Amino acid sequence: MTDIAVWFESVTKSFGTVRAVNGLDLRIRVGETVALLGANGAGKSTTVNLLLGLFPPDGGRVRVLDSAPRQAVAQGRIGAMLQEGGLMPGVTVQALLGFARERYPDPLPLAEVLDQTGLTEVADRYVDRLSGGQTQRLRFALAIVGDPELLVLDEPTAAMDVESRRAFWVNMRAYAAKGRTVLFATHYLDEADENADRIVVVAEGGVVADGTPAEIKSAAGGRSVRFTVDGSGAGDLHLLPGVTSVEVRGRTATLHTADAERTVRALFASRDRVRDIEVTGADLEDAVLALTS
Amino acid sequence: MVTYWRLEVLRMLRDRRFLILMLVLPVGMYLLFTNVFGQEDRAAARPDDVLGVDVRLMVSMAAFGAIGAALSATGPRIAQERAIGWMRQLRVMPMPARQVIIAKVLAAMTMALPAIVLVATTAVLAHGVRLAAWQWLAIGGMLWLGTAPFAALGVWIGYLADGDSAFAVMYGVYLALSALGGLWMPVHVLPSVLQDIAPMLPSNRFAELGWNVAAGTGPSMLGVAVLAGWLVVFAALALLGYRRRIAA
Repeated sequence: MTDIAVWFESVTKSFGTVRAVNGLDLRIRVGETVALLGANGAGKSTTVNLLLGLFPPDGGRVRVLDSAPRQAVAQGRIGAMLQEGGLMPGVTVQALLGFARERYPDPLPLAEVLDQTGLTEVADRYVDRLSGGQTQRLRFALAIVGDPELLVLDEPTAAMDVESRRAFWVNMRAYAAKGRTVLFATHYLDEADENADRIVVVAEGGVVADGTPAEIKSAAGGRSVRFTVDGSGAGDLHLLPGVTSVEVRGRTATLHTADAERTVRALFASRDRVRDIEVTGADLEDAVLALTS
Repeated sequence: MVTYWRLEVLRMLRDRRFLILMLVLPVGMYLLFTNVFGQEDRAAARPDDVLGVDVRLMVSMAAFGAIGAALSATGPRIAQERAIGWMRQLRVMPMPARQVIIAKVLAAMTMALPAIVLVATTAVLAHGVRLAAWQWLAIGGMLWLGTAPFAALGVWIGYLADGDSAFAVMYGVYLALSALGGLWMPVHVLPSVLQDIAPMLPSNRFAELGWNVAAGTGPSMLGVAVLAGWLVVFAALALLGYRRRIAA
């Protein structure tokens, strides 16, 4: 028994002429919560599907929890929420989860799963009568009901509104806090930042960066400070500490900075008023660009 | 697997379209046909129709209903579940695909039972059909087991067609098998080309199981062989279709 939960060794996978995963190396230790961060088409879903053994790699080796992926799935050691996964129509929430529970060797109590995912009130409702948010919660419930050692989530929040998204991550972290290994794919840097111990950035089917959220963000380079320009004008903005570039569109100025704190401090010192100020993290596109260049 | 089978059966009992098509239609057609053709046929007492129209059509319509139940419980449902991603979700759960398919086939066969029983009950009540106890049991049992090739055919359709077209494909196949197999009208009424085709069809051999028992003879060995042959063919095609979808 090793402490490696997920092990990709120079894995390749092509679809026709498209090489979706290209020599991917990845090791995830038991108990880690890892975000697989990448743009659409970076190879996230292919990586997740390889991990679940939905198709075999063309080259290299994939091991999950010391087993072949299909074996780990068959033994009920993995729970998964797929991007293209759906639910059985025409049955109740309770009946569906009850069926799923029976498939796993050591499942969670039904009441606990319903409670944790906020589905207790709709337990008797038919799956096809659920709202979008409830459907997503049920999909998550289906992934954790077997109390799996490894939880795999492929862009789990893609179809959720803000409220469901927040509730979802609370649930995910609660699950991870039990010492389980979690791997989730996302294209939002913020989600990865807030919910993972470690971020693995993928682009063109390979790992381009791997580290803690703080490491990734600093490697990705800086933040943006946006505000409305008043009387003082914009002529001096490039002189503020940390600023790497300045963009002014109409009355809105955007400063790119390597040190948002110092920039904002100096900005306030140089003006009587700063209106509509907004500080945002570098978006994924910037991050990937910074990391790949 | 028992739980999955039970879920499948419960779902079908909730499906109004399914219930009407597979239960009400065979009974309705039985009553229609026996009352339209019945008077004349009974009066004529044709020597080649040893069963009489009431019994012959009872078996035909029970077979018609059973085939419909077996096909519609598999084909369109599998196609729909593939389209919405449930089949994919099952693939990442500890539920082997083999068991999913077996549970579906068993559920399909389970749903064939009410169709058989309902048509038989109608025949008894409406036309006073009387058969020996062993004949009832044998007809019910054979028509039930005989649905297996149709369930396999349905599984194949489910992997072949997409979510939108599966119902149409299934229904076309269903009507063609029923009409050409002599379930709606006796084979000897069909054009001669079709008369030659009928004995090769699983639908004809399926109903023949019941016709023979009702006539007091055992099942024809050739008929059983033809049915078994179709079962092997459809099961192989279903497996092939399934493998192809998984690889994609």
